[in-house]
Amino acid sequence: MKKCLNRKTIGMAAAALTLAAVVSTGSAMAYFTTYAQAGGGAVVHLGFSQTVPEETVSNWTKHVTVKNTGESECYVRVRAFAGESYQAALTYRDENGKWTPGKDGCYYYSDVVRAGEQSGELLIGIDNLGKEESFNVIVVQEATPVLYDAAGKPYADWDMAFDSGEGGALQ
Amino acid sequence: MRKKKRSAVRPAILLTAAAGLLLFSTVGSTRAALMYYSENYAAEVTVSSIGITLTENGEKISYRDYTNGGNEWNEAEGKLLTKLLAEGEALMPGKEYPERLGVTNSGSIDTYVRVIVTRSWMDAQGKDTTLTPALIDLHYLENGWIIDPAASTEERTILYCTKPVLAGQAAPDLTDTLKIDSTITNKVTQNVTEVGGNKTIETVYDYDGYQFHINAEVDAVQTHNAKEAIKSAWGVDVNIAPDKSLSLQ
Repeated sequence: MKKCLNRKTIGMAAAALTLAAVVSTGSAMAYFTTYAQAGGGAVVHLGFSQTVPEETVSNWTKHVTVKNTGESECYVRVRAFAGESYQAALTYRDENGKWTPGKDGCYYYSDVVRAGEQSGELLIGIDNLGKEESFNVIVVQEATPVLYDAAGKPYADWDMAFDSGEGGALQ
Repeated sequence: MRKKKRSAVRPAILLTAAAGLLLFSTVGSTRAALMYYSENYAAEVTVSSIGITLTENGEKISYRDYTNGGNEWNEAEGKLLTKLLAEGEALMPGKEYPERLGVTNSGSIDTYVRVIVTRSWMDAQGKDTTLTPALIDLHYLENGWIIDPAASTEERTILYCTKPVLAGQAAPDLTDTLKIDSTITNKVTQNVTEVGGNKTIETVYDYDGYQFHINAEVDAVQTHNAKEAIKSAWGVDVNIAPDKSLSLQ
Protein backbone atom coordinates (compact mmCIF):
# COMPACT_ATOMS: atom_id res chain seq x y z
CA MET A 1 0.00 0.00 0.00
CA LYS A 2 2.79 2.35 0.91
CA LYS A 3 4.57 1.52 -2.32
CA CYS A 4 1.39 2.24 -4.26
CA LEU A 5 0.91 5.58 -2.59
CA ASN A 6 4.48 6.60 -3.25
CA ARG A 7 4.05 5.80 -6.90
CA LYS A 8 0.85 7.86 -7.06
CA THR A 9 2.47 10.72 -5.23
CA ILE A 10 5.50 10.73 -7.43
CA GLY A 11 3.30 10.52 -10.51
CA MET A 12 1.19 13.47 -9.49
CA ALA A 13 4.16 15.53 -8.46
CA ALA A 14 5.85 14.79 -11.80
CA ALA A 15 2.70 15.75 -13.70
CA ALA A 16 2.44 19.00 -11.77
CA LEU A 17 6.10 19.80 -12.40
CA THR A 18 5.74 19.02 -16.09
CA LEU A 19 2.69 21.25 -16.32
CA ALA A 20 4.50 24.04 -14.53
CA ALA A 21 7.52 23.58 -16.83
CA VAL A 22 5.33 23.73 -19.92
CA VAL A 23 3.67 26.93 -18.68
CA SER A 24 7.06 28.51 -17.98
CA THR A 25 8.54 27.36 -21.31
CA GLY A 26 5.67 29.02 -23.13
CA SER A 27 6.68 32.38 -21.71
CA ALA A 28 10.37 31.86 -22.38
CA MET A 29 9.76 31.19 -26.12
CA ALA A 30 7.79 34.36 -26.79
CA TYR A 31 9.96 36.90 -28.62
CA PHE A 32 9.09 40.36 -29.83
CA THR A 33 8.77 40.28 -33.61
CA THR A 34 7.01 42.29 -36.28
CA TYR A 35 6.97 42.72 -40.04
CA ALA A 36 5.83 45.05 -42.80
CA GLN A 37 5.56 44.45 -46.49
CA ALA A 38 4.65 46.15 -49.77
CA GLY A 39 4.65 45.32 -53.45
CA GLY A 40 4.20 47.07 -56.73
CA GLY A 41 5.15 47.16 -60.37
CA ALA A 42 4.78 48.74 -63.75
CA VAL A 43 3.86 47.51 -67.20
CA VAL A 44 6.49 47.29 -69.92
CA HIS A 45 5.24 48.33 -73.34
CA LEU A 46 7.42 47.22 -76.24
CA GLY A 47 6.34 47.59 -79.82
CA PHE A 48 7.95 47.23 -83.21
CA SER A 49 8.67 50.22 -85.35
CA GLN A 50 7.88 50.06 -89.02
CA THR A 51 9.39 52.59 -91.35
CA VAL A 52 8.47 53.62 -94.85
CA PRO A 53 10.69 55.74 -97.12
CA GLU A 54 9.04 58.59 -98.94
CA GLU A 55 10.87 60.18 -101.84
CA THR A 56 10.18 62.68 -104.55
CA VAL A 57 12.50 63.78 -107.37
CA SER A 58 12.93 67.28 -108.71
CA ASN A 59 15.84 68.97 -110.44
CA TRP A 60 18.04 65.86 -110.30
CA THR A 61 17.54 65.70 -106.56
CA LYS A 62 15.84 63.03 -104.48
CA HIS A 63 13.97 64.39 -101.46
CA VAL A 64 14.02 61.52 -98.98
CA THR A 65 12.16 61.25 -95.68
CA VAL A 66 11.46 58.21 -93.52
CA LYS A 67 8.10 57.81 -91.81
CA ASN A 68 7.60 55.69 -88.71
CA THR A 69 4.30 53.85 -89.22
CA GLY A 70 4.94 51.41 -86.35
CA GLU A 71 3.97 51.62 -82.72
CA SER A 72 7.26 52.48 -81.08
CA GLU A 73 9.95 55.08 -81.59
CA CYS A 74 13.09 54.33 -83.57
CA TYR A 75 16.28 55.62 -85.15
CA VAL A 76 16.63 55.53 -88.92
CA ARG A 77 19.44 55.46 -91.47
CA VAL A 78 19.45 55.75 -95.25
CA ARG A 79 21.78 54.65 -98.00
CA ALA A 80 21.59 55.38 -101.71
CA PHE A 81 22.85 53.02 -104.40
CA ALA A 82 23.53 54.05 -107.98
CA GLY A 83 25.45 52.40 -110.79
CA GLU A 84 29.17 51.94 -110.22
CA SER A 85 30.12 54.96 -112.29
CA TYR A 86 27.45 57.20 -110.73
CA GLN A 87 27.85 56.25 -107.03
CA ALA A 88 30.71 58.64 -106.35
CA ALA A 89 28.80 61.45 -108.04
CA LEU A 90 25.93 61.34 -105.51
CA THR A 91 25.84 64.33 -103.18
CA TYR A 92 24.07 64.59 -99.83
CA ARG A 93 22.80 67.61 -97.93
CA ASP A 94 20.03 68.57 -95.56
CA GLU A 95 18.66 71.87 -94.37
CA ASN A 96 18.75 71.09 -90.64
CA GLY A 97 22.05 69.28 -90.30
CA LYS A 98 20.48 66.18 -88.77
CA TRP A 99 21.73 63.63 -91.30
CA THR A 100 25.30 62.53 -90.62
CA PRO A 101 27.42 60.26 -92.87
CA GLY A 102 28.74 57.08 -91.35
CA LYS A 103 31.85 55.12 -92.35
CA ASP A 104 29.62 52.45 -93.85
CA GLY A 105 28.15 54.80 -96.47
CA CYS A 106 24.88 55.23 -94.63
CA TYR A 107 23.42 58.53 -93.52
CA TYR A 108 22.17 58.52 -89.94
CA TYR A 109 19.32 60.70 -88.70
CA SER A 110 20.27 62.07 -85.30
CA ASP A 111 16.80 62.45 -83.78
CA VAL A 112 14.43 59.80 -82.53
CA VAL A 113 11.56 59.28 -84.96
CA ARG A 114 8.44 58.76 -82.88
CA ALA A 115 5.51 56.58 -83.89
CA GLY A 116 3.46 58.33 -86.54
CA GLU A 117 6.13 60.96 -87.22
CA GLN A 118 8.72 61.27 -89.97
CA SER A 119 12.33 62.30 -90.27
CA GLY A 120 13.58 65.52 -91.75
CA GLU A 121 14.43 65.62 -95.43
CA LEU A 122 17.70 64.29 -96.88
CA LEU A 123 18.51 65.69 -100.31
CA ILE A 124 20.44 63.34 -102.57
CA GLY A 125 21.82 65.07 -105.61
CA ILE A 126 22.23 63.02 -108.78
CA ASP A 127 24.73 63.79 -111.51
CA ASN A 128 24.33 62.07 -114.90
CA LEU A 129 27.97 62.89 -115.71
CA GLY A 130 26.84 64.16 -119.14
CA LYS A 131 25.86 60.69 -120.27
CA GLU A 132 22.66 59.91 -122.14
CA GLU A 133 22.12 56.42 -120.71
CA SER A 134 19.44 55.72 -118.11
CA PHE A 135 20.33 54.63 -114.59
CA ASN A 136 18.62 54.04 -111.26
CA VAL A 137 19.26 55.49 -107.84
CA ILE A 138 17.82 53.22 -105.17
CA VAL A 139 17.32 54.44 -101.62
CA VAL A 140 17.36 51.88 -98.82
CA GLN A 141 16.34 52.77 -95.29
CA GLU A 142 16.62 50.87 -91.99
CA ALA A 143 15.35 51.42 -88.49
CA THR A 144 16.42 50.21 -85.04
CA PRO A 145 14.61 50.45 -81.69
CA VAL A 146 15.52 53.27 -79.33
CA LEU A 147 17.54 52.12 -76.32
CA TYR A 148 18.33 54.08 -73.18
CA ASP A 149 21.46 54.34 -71.07
CA ALA A 150 21.46 54.48 -67.27
CA ALA A 151 20.82 58.23 -67.32
CA GLY A 152 17.83 57.77 -69.59
CA LYS A 153 19.61 59.17 -72.65
CA PRO A 154 18.40 57.51 -75.88
CA TYR A 155 20.84 55.78 -78.21
CA ALA A 156 20.83 53.42 -81.17
CA ASP A 157 22.56 50.06 -81.30
CA TRP A 158 22.80 49.24 -85.01
CA ASP A 159 24.58 45.96 -84.24
CA MET A 160 21.81 44.70 -81.95
CA ALA A 161 20.73 41.15 -82.70
CA PHE A 162 17.39 39.71 -81.68
CA ASP A 163 17.40 36.59 -79.55
CA SER A 164 14.54 34.32 -80.52
CA GLY A 165 15.42 32.01 -77.63
CA GLU A 166 15.69 28.92 -79.85
CA GLY A 167 19.30 29.10 -80.81
CA GLY A 168 18.61 31.39 -83.71
CA ALA A 169 19.48 35.05 -83.84
CA LEU A 170 17.88 37.49 -86.19
CA GLN A 171 20.08 40.25 -87.43
CA MET B 1 -8.06 1.38 10.60
CA ARG B 2 -5.29 3.65 11.86
CA LYS B 3 -3.18 2.71 8.96
CA LYS B 4 -5.99 3.62 6.56
CA LYS B 5 -6.53 7.06 8.14
CA ARG B 6 -2.84 7.96 8.00
CA SER B 7 -2.52 6.85 4.41
CA ALA B 8 -5.55 8.96 3.31
CA VAL B 9 -4.14 12.14 4.81
CA ARG B 10 -0.71 11.87 3.19
CA PRO B 11 -1.91 11.71 -0.42
CA ALA B 12 -4.33 14.54 0.27
CA ILE B 13 -1.44 16.69 1.47
CA LEU B 14 0.67 15.74 -1.50
CA LEU B 15 -2.22 16.33 -3.84
CA THR B 16 -2.73 19.75 -2.29
CA ALA B 17 0.96 20.49 -2.67
CA ALA B 18 0.92 19.46 -6.33
CA ALA B 19 -2.20 21.53 -6.97
CA GLY B 20 -0.57 24.41 -5.12
CA LEU B 21 2.49 24.17 -7.34
CA LEU B 22 0.34 24.15 -10.44
CA LEU B 23 -1.74 27.04 -9.14
CA PHE B 24 1.41 28.99 -8.33
CA SER B 25 2.66 28.73 -11.89
CA THR B 26 -0.72 29.85 -13.21
CA VAL B 27 -0.96 32.66 -10.68
CA GLY B 28 2.41 33.89 -11.92
CA SER B 29 0.95 34.55 -15.39
CA THR B 30 -2.28 35.90 -13.99
CA ARG B 31 -0.38 38.23 -11.74
CA ALA B 32 1.60 39.47 -14.71
CA ALA B 33 -1.59 40.04 -16.65
CA LEU B 34 -3.10 41.94 -13.77
CA MET B 35 0.01 44.05 -13.31
CA TYR B 36 -0.27 45.09 -16.94
CA TYR B 37 -2.85 47.61 -15.82
CA SER B 38 -0.81 48.81 -12.89
CA GLU B 39 1.21 51.98 -13.20
CA ASN B 40 4.58 50.29 -12.82
CA TYR B 41 3.93 47.61 -15.40
CA ALA B 42 2.59 50.12 -17.94
CA ALA B 43 5.97 51.80 -17.87
CA GLU B 44 7.64 48.49 -18.62
CA VAL B 45 5.38 47.84 -21.63
CA THR B 46 6.25 51.22 -23.10
CA VAL B 47 9.86 50.12 -23.29
CA SER B 48 8.92 46.89 -25.04
CA SER B 49 6.92 48.18 -28.02
CA ILE B 50 8.27 46.80 -31.27
CA GLY B 51 7.63 48.39 -34.64
CA ILE B 52 9.03 48.48 -38.16
CA THR B 53 8.47 50.66 -41.21
CA LEU B 54 9.34 50.04 -44.85
CA THR B 55 10.30 53.19 -46.73
CA GLU B 56 10.73 53.95 -50.43
CA ASN B 57 12.71 57.00 -51.56
CA GLY B 58 12.36 58.35 -48.02
CA GLU B 59 8.59 57.93 -47.86
CA LYS B 60 6.79 55.69 -45.40
CA ILE B 61 5.05 52.88 -47.32
CA SER B 62 4.11 50.10 -44.88
CA TYR B 63 4.42 49.76 -41.13
CA ARG B 64 3.39 47.56 -38.25
CA ASP B 65 3.89 48.98 -34.77
CA TYR B 66 2.74 47.66 -31.42
CA THR B 67 0.88 50.31 -29.50
CA ASN B 68 1.14 49.64 -25.79
CA GLY B 69 -1.62 52.12 -25.00
CA GLY B 70 -4.22 50.41 -27.11
CA ASN B 71 -2.64 46.97 -26.70
CA GLU B 72 -2.99 46.47 -30.44
CA TRP B 73 -1.08 46.68 -33.72
CA ASN B 74 -1.06 49.93 -35.62
CA GLU B 75 -0.42 48.84 -39.18
CA ALA B 76 -0.81 49.80 -42.83
CA GLU B 77 0.32 48.29 -46.12
CA GLY B 78 1.08 50.58 -49.04
CA LYS B 79 2.26 50.04 -52.60
CA LEU B 80 5.71 50.30 -54.08
CA LEU B 81 6.64 51.98 -57.39
CA THR B 82 3.53 54.16 -57.57
CA LYS B 83 5.71 57.19 -58.38
CA LEU B 84 8.14 55.40 -60.68
CA LEU B 85 6.65 56.96 -63.80
CA ALA B 86 4.91 60.26 -64.30
CA GLU B 87 1.40 60.32 -65.77
CA GLY B 88 1.59 59.08 -69.36
CA GLU B 89 5.32 58.33 -69.15
CA ALA B 90 6.48 55.04 -70.65
CA LEU B 91 9.07 52.89 -68.96
CA MET B 92 12.47 53.10 -70.64
CA PRO B 93 14.41 49.82 -70.61
CA GLY B 94 18.00 50.55 -69.65
CA LYS B 95 17.26 53.70 -67.66
CA GLU B 96 18.07 53.71 -63.95
CA TYR B 97 15.18 54.93 -61.84
CA PRO B 98 15.73 56.00 -58.22
CA GLU B 99 14.48 53.26 -55.93
CA ARG B 100 15.79 53.65 -52.40
CA LEU B 101 14.27 50.96 -50.23
CA GLY B 102 14.86 51.52 -46.54
CA VAL B 103 13.85 50.39 -43.08
CA THR B 104 13.05 52.53 -40.06
CA ASN B 105 12.66 51.22 -36.56
CA SER B 106 9.29 52.69 -35.60
CA GLY B 107 9.17 50.90 -32.25
CA SER B 108 10.67 51.70 -28.90
CA ILE B 109 13.11 48.80 -28.67
CA ASP B 110 16.19 48.08 -30.77
CA THR B 111 15.73 45.36 -33.36
CA TYR B 112 17.61 43.20 -35.82
CA VAL B 113 16.02 43.34 -39.25
CA ARG B 114 16.07 41.44 -42.49
CA VAL B 115 14.40 42.14 -45.83
CA ILE B 116 13.10 39.59 -48.31
CA VAL B 117 12.87 41.02 -51.82
CA THR B 118 11.14 39.11 -54.59
CA ARG B 119 11.09 40.03 -58.27
CA SER B 120 8.78 38.55 -60.87
CA TRP B 121 6.96 39.11 -64.15
CA MET B 122 3.20 39.08 -64.20
CA ASP B 123 0.43 39.22 -66.75
CA ALA B 124 -3.33 39.17 -66.36
CA GLN B 125 -3.19 35.50 -65.35
CA GLY B 126 -0.65 36.08 -62.58
CA LYS B 127 3.02 35.30 -62.21
CA ASP B 128 4.85 34.04 -65.29
CA THR B 129 7.84 31.94 -64.31
CA THR B 130 9.06 31.50 -67.89
CA LEU B 131 10.44 35.06 -67.92
CA THR B 132 13.61 35.83 -66.05
CA PRO B 133 13.50 38.04 -62.94
CA ALA B 134 17.19 38.84 -63.47
CA LEU B 135 16.16 41.47 -66.01
CA ILE B 136 14.54 43.40 -63.16
CA ASP B 137 17.75 44.98 -61.95
CA LEU B 138 17.30 46.22 -58.40
CA HIS B 139 20.70 47.50 -57.31
CA TYR B 140 21.63 46.44 -53.78
CA LEU B 141 24.06 48.65 -51.90
CA GLU B 142 25.26 46.06 -49.35
CA ASN B 143 26.37 48.96 -47.22
CA GLY B 144 25.46 47.68 -43.78
CA TRP B 145 23.56 44.78 -45.32
CA ILE B 146 24.63 41.27 -46.23
CA ILE B 147 22.94 39.00 -48.72
CA ASP B 148 22.34 35.42 -47.69
CA PRO B 149 23.50 33.57 -50.81
CA ALA B 150 22.31 30.20 -49.54
CA ALA B 151 18.73 31.39 -49.18
CA SER B 152 18.63 33.65 -52.24
CA THR B 153 17.50 32.69 -55.72
CA GLU B 154 17.09 34.54 -59.01
CA GLU B 155 13.62 35.52 -57.86
CA ARG B 156 14.26 36.07 -54.14
CA THR B 157 16.99 37.93 -52.27
CA ILE B 158 17.30 37.90 -48.49
CA LEU B 159 19.33 40.66 -46.87
CA TYR B 160 20.29 41.03 -43.22
CA CYS B 161 21.18 44.32 -41.60
CA THR B 162 24.52 43.74 -39.92
CA LYS B 163 23.83 46.08 -37.01
CA PRO B 164 20.79 46.42 -34.79
CA VAL B 165 18.51 49.23 -35.87
CA LEU B 166 18.11 51.49 -32.89
CA ALA B 167 14.67 52.56 -31.76
CA GLY B 168 13.41 55.47 -33.81
CA GLN B 169 16.31 55.33 -36.26
CA ALA B 170 16.71 54.19 -39.88
CA ALA B 171 19.00 51.52 -41.27
CA PRO B 172 21.14 52.40 -44.30
CA ASP B 173 19.21 52.14 -47.57
CA LEU B 174 19.45 48.66 -49.04
CA THR B 175 18.91 49.65 -52.69
CA ASP B 176 19.44 52.81 -54.70
CA THR B 177 18.24 52.22 -58.28
CA LEU B 178 15.93 50.08 -60.35
CA LYS B 179 16.48 49.32 -64.01
CA ILE B 180 14.83 47.04 -66.52
CA ASP B 181 17.70 45.56 -68.47
CA SER B 182 17.76 46.89 -72.02
CA THR B 183 18.37 43.39 -73.37
CA ILE B 184 14.64 42.95 -72.82
CA THR B 185 14.25 44.54 -76.26
CA ASN B 186 16.25 41.69 -77.80
CA LYS B 187 14.04 38.91 -76.51
CA VAL B 188 11.58 37.93 -79.19
CA THR B 189 9.56 34.95 -80.29
CA GLN B 190 8.92 34.12 -83.93
CA ASN B 191 5.69 32.58 -85.06
CA VAL B 192 5.80 31.15 -88.57
CA THR B 193 2.57 30.52 -90.43
CA GLU B 194 2.31 29.16 -93.95
CA VAL B 195 -0.69 29.91 -96.15
CA GLY B 196 -0.77 28.85 -99.81
CA GLY B 197 2.95 28.28 -99.90
CA ASN B 198 3.67 31.72 -98.50
CA LYS B 199 5.41 31.87 -95.16
CA THR B 200 4.56 34.65 -92.75
CA ILE B 201 6.97 35.27 -89.90
CA GLU B 202 5.53 37.23 -87.01
CA THR B 203 8.03 38.48 -84.44
CA VAL B 204 6.76 39.53 -81.02
CA TYR B 205 8.56 40.85 -77.97
CA ASP B 206 8.54 38.28 -75.17
CA TYR B 207 8.13 40.89 -72.45
CA ASP B 208 5.67 43.22 -74.17
CA GLY B 209 2.66 43.96 -71.98
CA TYR B 210 4.09 42.24 -68.93
CA GLN B 211 4.25 43.90 -65.56
CA PHE B 212 7.41 43.60 -63.55
CA HIS B 213 6.65 43.19 -59.88
CA ILE B 214 8.73 43.79 -56.77
CA ASN B 215 7.74 42.79 -53.26
CA ALA B 216 9.65 43.70 -50.12
CA GLU B 217 9.00 42.20 -46.70
CA VAL B 218 10.78 43.55 -43.64
CA ASP B 219 11.07 41.35 -40.58
CA ALA B 220 12.20 42.63 -37.19
CA VAL B 221 13.07 40.81 -34.01
CA GLN B 222 14.19 41.92 -30.55
CA THR B 223 17.88 42.31 -29.77
CA HIS B 224 17.54 40.71 -26.32
CA ASN B 225 18.63 37.06 -26.60
CA ALA B 226 19.01 37.86 -30.30
CA LYS B 227 20.63 34.61 -31.36
CA GLU B 228 17.82 32.51 -29.93
CA ALA B 229 15.13 34.98 -30.94
CA ILE B 230 16.34 35.03 -34.57
CA LYS B 231 16.58 31.25 -34.66
CA SER B 232 13.06 30.99 -33.31
CA ALA B 233 11.50 33.71 -35.47
CA TRP B 234 13.39 33.29 -38.74
CA GLY B 235 14.86 29.79 -38.45
CA VAL B 236 18.32 31.11 -39.18
CA ASP B 237 21.57 30.54 -37.30
CA VAL B 238 23.47 33.77 -36.79
CA ASN B 239 26.43 34.97 -34.79
CA ILE B 240 26.13 38.06 -32.65
CA ALA B 241 29.50 39.65 -31.89
CA PRO B 242 30.20 41.52 -28.65
CA ASP B 243 29.70 44.79 -30.56
CA LYS B 244 26.24 43.43 -31.55
CA SER B 245 27.25 42.91 -35.20
CA LEU B 246 25.28 40.19 -36.91
CA SER B 247 26.81 37.65 -39.25
CA LEU B 248 25.43 34.52 -40.84
CA GLN B 249 26.70 31.10 -39.82
